[in-house]
Amino acid sequence: MPILRVALDVPVNTLFDYLGPDTVVTEQDVGTRVRVPFGKHLMTGVIMEVATYSSIASPKLKPIAHIFRDVPPLPETLLDLFRFCSAYYHHPLGEVVMNGLPGRLRSSKPFVQQYRPILEYRLTGTGRAADPSVIPPRNIVKRRLLARLKETGSITIEEAKQLSQRAPGVLKEFASLWWVEERAEIESSAIAAANTSSPVPVLTPAQKNAVDEIVPTIKQFNTWLLHGVTGSGKTEVYLRLITLMLHQRRQTLVLVPEINLTPQLEAVFRARFPAIRLISLHSGLNPSERAGGWLQAQRGDAQIILGTRLAVFTPLPDLGLIIVDEEQDMSFKQQDGLRYSARDVAIFRARQTGVPVILGSATPSLETYYNAINGRYLRLQLPSRAVRNATLPLVRCIDTRIAKTEEGLSPPLISALETSLALNQQSLVFINRRGYAPVLLCRSCAWTAACQRCASRLVVHLREKKLRCHHCGHQERFPTNCPECGDQDIAPFGHGTQRVEEALSRRFPHARIMRIDRDSTRRKDAWQKMLEEIQGQRVDILIGTQILAKGHDFPNLSLVSVLNSDASLFSSDFRASERLFAQLMQVAGRAGRGGIPGQVLIQTEFPNHPLYQALCRHDYDSLAQTLLVERKLARFPPFIYQVLLWAEAPSIDLALAFLANAEGISAKPKHIEIFDPVPAQMPRLKGMERAYLLVQSSSRSKLQKFLGEWRTQLDALPDRKVRWALDVDPLEF
Amino acid sequence: MNCNQTAICGKIVEIASLRYTPAGVAVTEFKISHVSRQIEAGRSRQVECEVSAVALGQMAEIISRVTAGTAVKLVGFLAKKSRMSLQLVLHVNNIDPV
Repeated sequence: MPILRVALDVPVNTLFDYLGPDTVVTEQDVGTRVRVPFGKHLMTGVIMEVATYSSIASPKLKPIAHIFRDVPPLPETLLDLFRFCSAYYHHPLGEVVMNGLPGRLRSSKPFVQQYRPILEYRLTGTGRAADPSVIPPRNIVKRRLLARLKETGSITIEEAKQLSQRAPGVLKEFASLWWVEERAEIESSAIAAANTSSPVPVLTPAQKNAVDEIVPTIKQFNTWLLHGVTGSGKTEVYLRLITLMLHQRRQTLVLVPEINLTPQLEAVFRARFPAIRLISLHSGLNPSERAGGWLQAQRGDAQIILGTRLAVFTPLPDLGLIIVDEEQDMSFKQQDGLRYSARDVAIFRARQTGVPVILGSATPSLETYYNAINGRYLRLQLPSRAVRNATLPLVRCIDTRIAKTEEGLSPPLISALETSLALNQQSLVFINRRGYAPVLLCRSCAWTAACQRCASRLVVHLREKKLRCHHCGHQERFPTNCPECGDQDIAPFGHGTQRVEEALSRRFPHARIMRIDRDSTRRKDAWQKMLEEIQGQRVDILIGTQILAKGHDFPNLSLVSVLNSDASLFSSDFRASERLFAQLMQVAGRAGRGGIPGQVLIQTEFPNHPLYQALCRHDYDSLAQTLLVERKLARFPPFIYQVLLWAEAPSIDLALAFLANAEGISAKPKHIEIFDPVPAQMPRLKGMERAYLLVQSSSRSKLQKFLGEWRTQLDALPDRKVRWALDVDPLEF
Repeated sequence: MNCNQTAICGKIVEIASLRYTPAGVAVTEFKISHVSRQIEAGRSRQVECEVSAVALGQMAEIISRVTAGTAVKLVGFLAKKSRMSLQLVLHVNNIDPV
């Protein structure tokens, strides 16, 4: 009996051996999902290896409970990707594999596809090889159908019905044997359609240069940095390369940082490639939709796969190109479980497959920028805006020490909004804080509403009449009086999107104002509808958080104003200024993308800060160079490779003690620096106290080698009540 | 040490518009302008002052409906305007027409 080595979602870095069933299980079944007994329960896992012997004594080996034949096995390349992630991030392989699967395929029930009605059946390789003589001669319908399929390769449901009433049932049977594939639509000449769609704009010289540089080496691995200012038409470069991929019948994987960006990009792609099967994969889909999309990608039916970070683990048999848009974005990094960076995994995947990967950004992360100027990545620049007459917006700072704000808005800002309204142009007020006010304050005794489970303040959500923790999701009603001193006159303090919305509605009663933040876009399709309203110019003033900052193209938007950005200047995070700059550059880039000149107003108390000065000059390079010099002096990434060991426990002492132990048992080799354990920047989260230990080295390979050994030691360390995790290349502290 | 009661007559001036705490309690901030003659060390003297006042709940709603200039007698207690402030505010518990 074959031994199956199964990956299970358990926090132990090992595969589990099981006995295969008597029916034949072969190497072909690597990548297939199985149900196996584990302790007192059954668990779903994936066969990673099929072996002939096990180091475990055979009486102890349990047989698998069930083998899933509902979907084809995961391809070997994907399993290799999982193995890489497990090795690089030092995370148990079973957890990596199960984290990579869509939730629906992780469940205990076989996956039944329930998407659009099936219109066509196509013969598979298995079907072609199938021997007609296994069908009993009396089953005429089966025999005829198979013969017909072998002749034509495919059959539509209508044709099948003409053949026999019973044909649809027989085809279902064939499908379960993997003789035929079910298709939801009739394959038209999709490739031809790729050329005959919405008008294709003429490339600017810079865009043309970028395409011409990439195309000759499109069949080999390279990491390209497409560094283009906002509005320079990076998307058009992607579209040209995707067109090329479609001609070569290869798949393109496009990763975007946020779910909210998928509808807009999806619309652009669909308009350009109307007949192409495009799927979007993100956590906003229901489990069946996601699993359905994943399977279409796996079968090679989907040519363009658009998704958030989780889409990097989609099986893609004909992968030809990977695009990571807004590569600097933090949301490519998963912050729990397998703490992977989808951008970095994408680069590995491109190298593994031998295809190019394109990192697009107006403000690349310093890591990427450093690699680009060193020549490890190939850099392509788009220095000016693509639309004719569109120039970069004029950026100005409003000194709020002079121009006093009222309800967060300064007089110059109000008059700029007035002007835009009068000209019938759209404006955007950017404030990266949702809710009404970040603090509920008692002015008599300075009590503030704090989260019981996190080291954070509760945010006032006036509209929902709730105090909410933005970290753990806890919510509660407003207290009627201050719990400390009893004063009833407690008041919201500071500004969030809801409060700005209220103030602007009062100031401009006739303007059409729309607030766009996670609360207002929570309902399914809400964001899509809002986008349509904006595009249809039925909105005058947009108030938004960072949701609005990225990637969107609103041609009629001429004014962007930024409130409350100073806070990030004082952050203790060494990446704060890099992020603030990227974010402001992004949001500033929303202005003046069409023909109308744009203007950006930043309310600040520090108009002379080098960051704002660089922003006014649209000078990413000089700021990046300055920051790189600082990072080099301070020995921060990208000049050093870092790893965090996180520990969470009910009390901070437990967490720190565990980390001290972890530090103690490490071999402390040369070239590896281990710092003392410290409480995290957010010392309490969801009722757990958090601390970390920083490990760094100037050599990635030495660090990896050390981690491999340390991880095994850590696994053996007593960790009662402590939850710990390794975070390779951390972005948050 | 629990004594904190102030009574004062005057005209209500500068009534700010009614606002509500997040929990929905009405708040009205206003001022009362006081002019009278008082006895001090056995002699009569002129007194003029303006006192900041605030009312919560039902009292806030009553005061928000009073027209500016109305003469009233207010009874309440004194408290600091805010934690860092030295200014006192009369918190009104009772209002009577004069």
